[in-house]
Amino acid sequence: MIRRVGALILVSVLVVLTLGAGGRVTGQAVKNQDTFVTLRFGDPQTLDPDTQYDTASYEIVYPNVYETLIGYNGSVLATYVPRLATEVPSLANGLISKDGLTYTFPIRTGVKFHDGSVLTPEDVRYSMLRFMLQDVDGGPAWLLLTPLVGKESTRDKGKIAVTYQEVAKTVTVQGNNVVFHLHSPYGAFLSIIAAWSFVMPKAWAAAHGDWDGSPGTWQKFNNPKLQDRYEFDHMNGTGPFKLESWDRQAKQVTLLRNDAYWRAPAQLARIVIRTVTEFTTRRLQLQQGDADLIDVNRPEQSQVQGMAGVTIRDDLPQLLIQAFHFNFKIDATGNPDVGSGKLDGNGIPPDFFSDVHVRKGFAYAFDYGTFIRDGYRGKAIQPNGPIIQGLLGYDPSLPKYTFDKAKAVAEFKEAWGGKLWDTGFKFTLTYNTGNTPRQIGAQVVKDVVESLNPKFKIDVRNLQWSTFLSATNAHKGTLYALGWAVDYPDPDDFAQPFLSSKGDYPQRNSYHNPEADRLIGEAAGSSDPATRKDLYRKLTQIAYNDVPSIWAAQPTQFKVMRSWVRGWYWNTVYGGEDYYPLSKQ
Amino acid sequence: MTAFIVRRLLLLPFVAIGVSMLIFALLQFLTPAMRASLYIHDPKQLGAIPEIIRKYHLDQPVYVQYGDWLAQVLRGDLGWSETAREPVADAIRGYFPATLELAVLSFVAILAIGIWLGTLAAVHKDTIIDHLSRVTSISGNSMPTFVWGLILLMLFYGQMGWFPPGRLSLEQDQFVHSVRFHAYTGLMTIDAALNRQWWILWDALKHLVLPVATLTYYLTAVLVRITRSSMLETLRTDYVRTARAKGLAQRVVIDKHARRNALIPAITLGSLLFVGLLSGVVITETVFNYPGIGRWGVSASQQLDIPAVTGFALIFSGLLVIGNLCADVLYAVVDPRIRLQ
Repeated sequence: MIRRVGALILVSVLVVLTLGAGGRVTGQAVKNQDTFVTLRFGDPQTLDPDTQYDTASYEIVYPNVYETLIGYNGSVLATYVPRLATEVPSLANGLISKDGLTYTFPIRTGVKFHDGSVLTPEDVRYSMLRFMLQDVDGGPAWLLLTPLVGKESTRDKGKIAVTYQEVAKTVTVQGNNVVFHLHSPYGAFLSIIAAWSFVMPKAWAAAHGDWDGSPGTWQKFNNPKLQDRYEFDHMNGTGPFKLESWDRQAKQVTLLRNDAYWRAPAQLARIVIRTVTEFTTRRLQLQQGDADLIDVNRPEQSQVQGMAGVTIRDDLPQLLIQAFHFNFKIDATGNPDVGSGKLDGNGIPPDFFSDVHVRKGFAYAFDYGTFIRDGYRGKAIQPNGPIIQGLLGYDPSLPKYTFDKAKAVAEFKEAWGGKLWDTGFKFTLTYNTGNTPRQIGAQVVKDVVESLNPKFKIDVRNLQWSTFLSATNAHKGTLYALGWAVDYPDPDDFAQPFLSSKGDYPQRNSYHNPEADRLIGEAAGSSDPATRKDLYRKLTQIAYNDVPSIWAAQPTQFKVMRSWVRGWYWNTVYGGEDYYPLSKQ
Repeated sequence: MTAFIVRRLLLLPFVAIGVSMLIFALLQFLTPAMRASLYIHDPKQLGAIPEIIRKYHLDQPVYVQYGDWLAQVLRGDLGWSETAREPVADAIRGYFPATLELAVLSFVAILAIGIWLGTLAAVHKDTIIDHLSRVTSISGNSMPTFVWGLILLMLFYGQMGWFPPGRLSLEQDQFVHSVRFHAYTGLMTIDAALNRQWWILWDALKHLVLPVATLTYYLTAVLVRITRSSMLETLRTDYVRTARAKGLAQRVVIDKHARRNALIPAITLGSLLFVGLLSGVVITETVFNYPGIGRWGVSASQQLDIPAVTGFALIFSGLLVIGNLCADVLYAVVDPRIRLQ
């Protein structure tokens, strides 16, 4: 009897569970009509527009609370629309000087900040200077410092390395215009301004203990701890939404409609962006209509496919690249990843990857198709270099490595003067714990390379993020997986970190090609698209010849939202969504 | 008893210092660059590691760092938690009441059900009631909390729509964040009652049902087994036999004579359970998106958020001392033969 009752209960539970996620919500009415709820798996670091440098913070800052001088026209990245400026500078309208060194932005009048104060050109100038001079370590200040001052940081080895005048002279106010004076011509400048020229009121900032704009005090405000700024958890922009609260315990940011917005007010009254780390919880809240848009990882996509009342927008182009990097000069001191540290079959010498045949061997041995199929469920393309699809200068006709075991063997046989094939090697390939695509990629490298020659041995090891970062930064990485996401949609943002000897990866991996440096400088300085396109094509060719990294995948993005969401569009530069055009119907 | 309690409480600062010293000693196994990675969220920021090390004094000898930290604590500042994005003290003040609320409700349910079921099983040894209670114990304890939690969530939220995750629903949450609501204690149910906002109290209780049910099912099992075996032992003692021989009713024998003495092991276990609950129930908090202290503690540990880990450890060690103290006091209360000296 008891068994029967137990079985009956069990069957009932299973039936209810299997009835499906969608059954109950078919034809469900719009929930919380004026409120949009987004569930993310990451929470913002700070709300200060000048120190934030992560996607979760960026979503709140831009384009929802703070605005830039010019912006993007929906999904289009190649052209701009005026925002806080009334015109987009160009050579044609004379707002860009012929030598490409001066950009003039006429500032819109009648725009109000969320505290009711009126936007002035001086606020714009102050905000640009604050962005550069505050310069928190690991922050975004380099984005303006590089084109305007010609330096990536205000500090050198921890000490102030610029003067106030040096920075202040780069942004001036002339009547109702704000004029930027570049250090040297910089083709990507408008692209940076469109994504990083946030404006806050000078008086408000100064009244809350921030820098007051005077020359003598800026050093005191340089490189702050994020939380030391009032703007860390307070916002005062001109955007369509204003900050209501940042509940750090609930990990929730709430934005309210700015009814005094200079364009027509947004349709949604309230935006709630909440962090929910558990995927099933996010999915159930979407199913119940308690969430309108949720973060979903690619491997979880099948679990939201076919949910009633839910729309998936797939194959969204993304300016993001996944690569495996060769370290040309490994620090072998106390480094277990290089084995014996010699070319004796039980390890690798520190300069193992400085031989181009080794790198080419690995590039041919990488099974791109399998990596993209298993790592990204087929939703990625194989790039031919760091200049990926969607960027100026991307040319699919340029050569790229294909998975070819015969060619890989041929390259390995030439490596190290023909010695490598006989001696073999052993090293450890690393990636950060929890990153499934990188784990799959690492396994792909191991499986194929070891199958070429029984003397080739690769161990795969995942490291906690902290350990992984410190190891790669200390030049201890051998062959390791890391990616890059867009800061501003210009090829310079990808050529520089991957191919310039001053770039993030070449510095860490000791890659240096003077010709690449020259071309990157020339391309950055040119404002002629045709010239730049040609230069970036040449750089892609260098990336192919030198193989400093295996250009593994450019994954596409997908978004999961309730079908009642209207007005949504995709822009790969935004950290999240532009809530201004959204409504629920 | 008062002297005993005072003596135990005087131990607290020493325990706290010991724990914090241990944590700082363990730090020596981590390089400054590893600890600096707490502030790095993107490969683009890697170049900043040397500056971060300098800025946060991560390259200083461990005793210097400990001295700085201790001086700061003595000034009443537990430091900044990068993972909570707020001062450690504020984070504890924010997260702990949520956990306390969950822990107290769960603990009451665990005690009530655990002792009742354990007693029932012992009294009806080897009957169907005993078997059922044991099956319940084993299944509850052997099923991982996240499985049980997710099943409950799918059934009662995904299908029925009754008990949502989180701490409050959207409308209630907006009200709580408004000036119309005053947070007296941080305990949502109590604050709602103090504000006379019964709809918020109702909503907060609705959000507590599933996490409490999950924890109760998972943790009751242990208490049932302990109470049962303790009761069985007590029921075999001479004084219980004497009580029965005197003709006392079964209920009186069980409730008044046997159970009270059988509670000693249950109290020991209960105090440990309660401290465990108070230090956070990570998986339950994660599954139900419940903003408790456990989820924060784990995230802080994973990201090497040293001030947060130290603050968390201080709180936990304090709770452990107080939990054990409560257990000792309770021993004396339930069993007059035990005297605290």
